[in-house]
This record gives sequence, C-alpha cells and structure tokens, in this order.
Amino acid sequence: MDLFHRRKRRKSLKTTLHQIVFFLPALILMIIFLLYPVLNTLWTSFTSEDHQFVFLDNYKKVLSSKDVFNQKGFTQGFPLGALPHNFLWILIHLPLTTFLGLVLAVLFKDLKYNYIFKSSIFLGMVTPMVIGGVILRFIYEKEVGIINAILELLGFQAFTWTAYPETALLSLIFGSVWLWTGFSMIIYSSGLGNIPKEYYEAAALDGATPFVIFFRITIPLLKQMTVVVITMTILWELKIFDLVYVATMGGPGGASNVMALQMYFYAFRQFNFQNASVIATLLMLLTLFVTIPLIKSSLGEER
Amino acid sequence: MKFITWIVVIFSAILFIGLPVYSQDSSLTVIGPWSGGEMDAFLPVLKAFEEETGIKVEFLTYRAEDLSTLLPAQFTAESTLGDLIFMQSWFIQDQAKKGHIMDISAVITEDDFIPGSLDGLKVDGKLYGAAYTGKVKPGFWFRKSFFEKNQLTVPNNWEDFQALLEKMKGIEGISAPIASGNGVGWPLSDITEHFIVAFGGTELFHNLINHSIHWNDAKVKEIFENRLAVLLKENYFGEPSEWTMVLEKWWNGDYGLFFMGSWITGMVDDPSDLSVFSLPGTQGLVFAPDYLFIPAYTQNPENAKKLLAFLVTQGQELQVQQGGHLATYLNVPIEFYPEVDRNVAQILEGKMALPDLDDTIGGEFQSKFWDQLKLLWVKPEQVDDVLDTLESVFEQ
Repeated sequence: MDLFHRRKRRKSLKTTLHQIVFFLPALILMIIFLLYPVLNTLWTSFTSEDHQFVFLDNYKKVLSSKDVFNQKGFTQGFPLGALPHNFLWILIHLPLTTFLGLVLAVLFKDLKYNYIFKSSIFLGMVTPMVIGGVILRFIYEKEVGIINAILELLGFQAFTWTAYPETALLSLIFGSVWLWTGFSMIIYSSGLGNIPKEYYEAAALDGATPFVIFFRITIPLLKQMTVVVITMTILWELKIFDLVYVATMGGPGGASNVMALQMYFYAFRQFNFQNASVIATLLMLLTLFVTIPLIKSSLGEER
Repeated sequence: MKFITWIVVIFSAILFIGLPVYSQDSSLTVIGPWSGGEMDAFLPVLKAFEEETGIKVEFLTYRAEDLSTLLPAQFTAESTLGDLIFMQSWFIQDQAKKGHIMDISAVITEDDFIPGSLDGLKVDGKLYGAAYTGKVKPGFWFRKSFFEKNQLTVPNNWEDFQALLEKMKGIEGISAPIASGNGVGWPLSDITEHFIVAFGGTELFHNLINHSIHWNDAKVKEIFENRLAVLLKENYFGEPSEWTMVLEKWWNGDYGLFFMGSWITGMVDDPSDLSVFSLPGTQGLVFAPDYLFIPAYTQNPENAKKLLAFLVTQGQELQVQQGGHLATYLNVPIEFYPEVDRNVAQILEGKMALPDLDDTIGGEFQSKFWDQLKLLWVKPEQVDDVLDTLESVFEQ
C-alpha cells in the first residue's frame, strides 16, 4: 500500500474514532434509559413472577381478561375492554380531528387576523391533558356542565355524561377533539403556506370550482402533512392515559378504560409487572406498526 | 494559571451544588391527604410542634391513591418523600412486612388509644404506625331547618326510611332525596359499607374484609339487591357528582340527605344546623382513623419520632378543637370538642367501631370497588355483574 493510501486510511480511521467518541455518550444514555428498559419489559412479558420463562402465557391471560377484551360487551354494550376502546378512539377521534383541522386551516388561510382564531383553537393543544380531563369532567356534569346547559336550552333532559357506561367513553372521545384539533390545524396551516399560489390561480383560470380545487390541488399537495397528522394522532390515541385517568378513571365499570390506564392498574394497583409488560409490549408493537410507514415515507423523501 | 483557575471554579461549583445535599437538615416533611380547609385545620398543629421544639416542619399534600404508587418505588430505592406519612393501614402493614417502615413500639403507649385502633398496624407483635384523629361515618346528614320546614322526621325503621325518601322526592326544587358524592369513588363506598353493616351485621362486614364470605354470596346479594338497588331504581339517590360540589348543593336544599363522614361538620357554614341519623338497626359504624408512619429511610429518625409522639397526643387535642375530627387518644377531654362533634361522638356510644372496609382491603380491590359502585349507581339492575366482578378480584 502506498504512502498516500496509508495516510488516507489513517485519517479515515481517525475520523471514525472521532465520530465514535462523539456518539458514545448519547449511545450509553440510550442503552441505559431506552434500550435496556425496552428489552427488560419485553423479557418480563414472557416470564412469570418468579422469573421463569412462560412464553405466551401472560399474553393469553391479558388478552382473555375482561378488562382488556370483554366479549360480552359486543352484545350487551359497554365495557368492550381497553383494547377495543383504544380502537374506538382511533376510529372516531382520528377522522374528526384530521378533517376538522384541515377544514379550519383552509378556512383561516386567507382570513385577516387569522392568528387570533388559530391561537384560540390551539389553546386546547397547549392545555395539559390532566387539566383537560378535569375540564371535560365538569363540562359533562349534570348540574354545572355547559353541554347540559345547551341541551336544556334545546329542550333535552340533562344528565352527567361521564356517569353512564353508554356515554362515558364517547364523551371523552368527542371532548378531546377540542383538545387535539389545534395540532392538525397547525400542521395543515404550515402545509398550506407551502403550496404555490400559482397552482390556485391557474386552476381558477381554467374555471375550476373551489370544491374541485380543494380535492384536486389542496388535498393531494398536503399528503405528507396528512401522514404526519394521522401518525401522530394515532400515537396519541394509543397512549392516551392522563385525560381518562382524571376524567373517569376508566369507569364506570371499566366503560372508558384504555390500554395505558390498564397498564397502570396492572403495574401500580395490582403490582403485576408481567401483565403490565404485556400491555407495554402490545402498545409498542402497535406504535411500531404506525410509525414504520412514516419513517419509511420520510426516508423516501430524503432520497 | 488559567488551568488552575478553572479547577478552582469547577471544584467550588461542585462544592456549592453538593453541600446542601449532604448537609444534615433537621427539618421534617409531613405528607398527608388534606388540602383546602382540611389542611388549614391541620397546619396549626404542626405550628404548635414547631414552637415547642424549634424543629421546622413542612407539609405536603398527596392523595393516598398516589402515594400507593409513588412510595413503593421510593422505598425500593431506600429513599422517602417524607419523614412522617399519613397512609391507609393496609399499606403500612404491607410495607412494614417488607422492612420499609420504622418500628415505633417504644414511641407511644398502646393503652392510651381506643382499643383495637392500632391492631391493623402490627406485624409480628411490633407496632409500625400510629392512629391520629379519626372520622366516624355515622349515616345520613340533614339540615335541621330543612326537616323542620318540610315537616320531615327521622326514620325509626326501613319502611319509615322509604316513606321519608318518597316524601322528599315530592318536595319542590329537589333534585333527589339523597345526594351521591363522587369524584374518586370513595363516597359511594361509604354508603355501601353502611348498608352492609345495617342489614348484614358487623360479623358479615368483618367476614367480607377477611374474605371468609364471598362477595356474590346470597347474603351479600340480598343487601345489594333488596336494599341498595331498590332505592337506586326508585331514583332516591342522585347521579354521582363531585362530592364537594354536591355538598354545596345539598346545603342549599337541592338534596335532602347526604351520607358523609364526620369531617362534614368542619365544612359547612353553620354546624349547629346539622344533624345525622344512621340506618335503623345499625349495630356498628365505620370509624376510620388517619394512620401515620415513619419510613425506615428518614434522615431524621429522632425528630420524626418526636413529631409522631406529639401529633398523636397533644396534636390530637389541638386538632379536635378545629372541628370535624374525633380523637383516638383516650386522654383528650370531651370539653375540647365543638358541640356538634360531641354529638357525633355520642352516636358512637353503644355501637361497634368498625374499620373502613375498602381502606383495610386496599390494593386492586379498592379501585375496583369504587368503579363498580359507580356502575351500580347508574345501572342498579347489574347487581350480579358488580358482585361477580368484585369477587373475581379475590379469585385472581
């Protein structure tokens, strides 16, 4: 090997060494605080209380528990179990917040002083979810809640929405639309700002109606924003805890229970860390299922 | 020179940051569940200790439900949030077995306290906690003026009680005869415990705590179905609402009766207008002391012992004067009580003092019990499901 290549190799090794040294503190922290807990949780989910490997026994136990999946609920009404409840969150909350956020972003786009409206809607997003939960609890109260005040004005009978199994979960889902819509609105607003005005002008010259412009130009050009909104919203819906904990504690009778809350019950009420690890692992798998397409899509964009 | 300057600066910074951590601070931290008016009534007791000993005391509010999740992790790490902590008896006993709690057998004299009040705090004959003041859960509170205005009378039997509720239902402007406090869930459990004692007796109550009788046993089901659910189905109970909000509404006449502990006497504008009755035939009442303990990891064990000894003796004398509390320390003179609390103390006479059922069982049962009662309150026809679910907690 000639001197030039030897020097080049030595220099490259030196650079790699520098990179490793630079990266090492972060790597050590990640191993201690991220990788180790994840692997430990995964391992715990496959072991018994006395640390014996039991393979899928804990998973069978958790998934057949009434708290997580209540078969009877599908014929007799709530509770359906924490897992179906999380899916209901996604099914109802996701389209509502995504659509509302998009509509509001479009509506406010060319509005004068739109920052006032945007800020007031975004307030829900900056409210801590624990406070949001308390507010929701009072909003739905029979005696003092604003929802009931409106309903009574319209001639309906008031009742405490979070007190009944049929309405508890749905109340929280619909209530949290107010708390989360600000997120999608802001993301869509920034996306709208990046669409060149010429596209709209050209479409208008061609005689396209606002409806056509919205569906043929706005929505396709906001695809990446939609991916971000959907992914982040699903992640939030999967890990929802604080809001439910404060507003209903998963009740009544488990009718508004969700996976993260059930994990808390297993870990800190029953001190059953095996079952809690099962839920944590299931949530992690579901999260990966959602985030991997996002990462793939963003990597594709970089290329 | 520059290098040496840097070394000195870094060394001084470490010393500055590190010193307070390692310095021996003699002040104490007390953790308890009280906030608002209840905390205001407790702080003078701590102040009195500070004045007497010169030891500073800080008070932090933490709910028992939160402490039950926070403390085990702290104890495992051999550290503690506070030097003296108020907590439920099941937790003290459980943690004492694990070696996380200080033995205080030599700090207090057991004979000075209400017989049996310290039983739930012992492990292998050693005492690991003490009883501060307690609260009795005597029954249904009402305003004397409300009863007089609507010509209502205290019931002598079950039929009288039902008739009273029916009459109340007809009063104009009333939401429901009985207010249902809610929030975390314990107000409903207090009502249920009272029904169990009244119609099942004190033995059945103890058997449920020990789980020597099943929750879906016919005797228990009979009480839930024929007593509690009957009233719920007739809408004699209001919808469960946040209990302090309900307290205000009850006081303003939206409800006729409110089942609550004796602390209510310290929470209303005019305690002299208050009166209370138990369900006819009740032989026992839940008397729930506020238990406290010293974690094994306190940095000030001697001062913590001094404070504990003060609180459960002189401290109780000061506390009962604030209203809403009953002493577990037998040497507190009756003259120290406000009049309304003296009456409450009299209700206890001739009745068996019982432990709080869900506080004694604790753990998962407690949260399930609260949640299932919330369900029962709005779905009284689901008695069987509720009792089966409660039983399943023990089966697991």
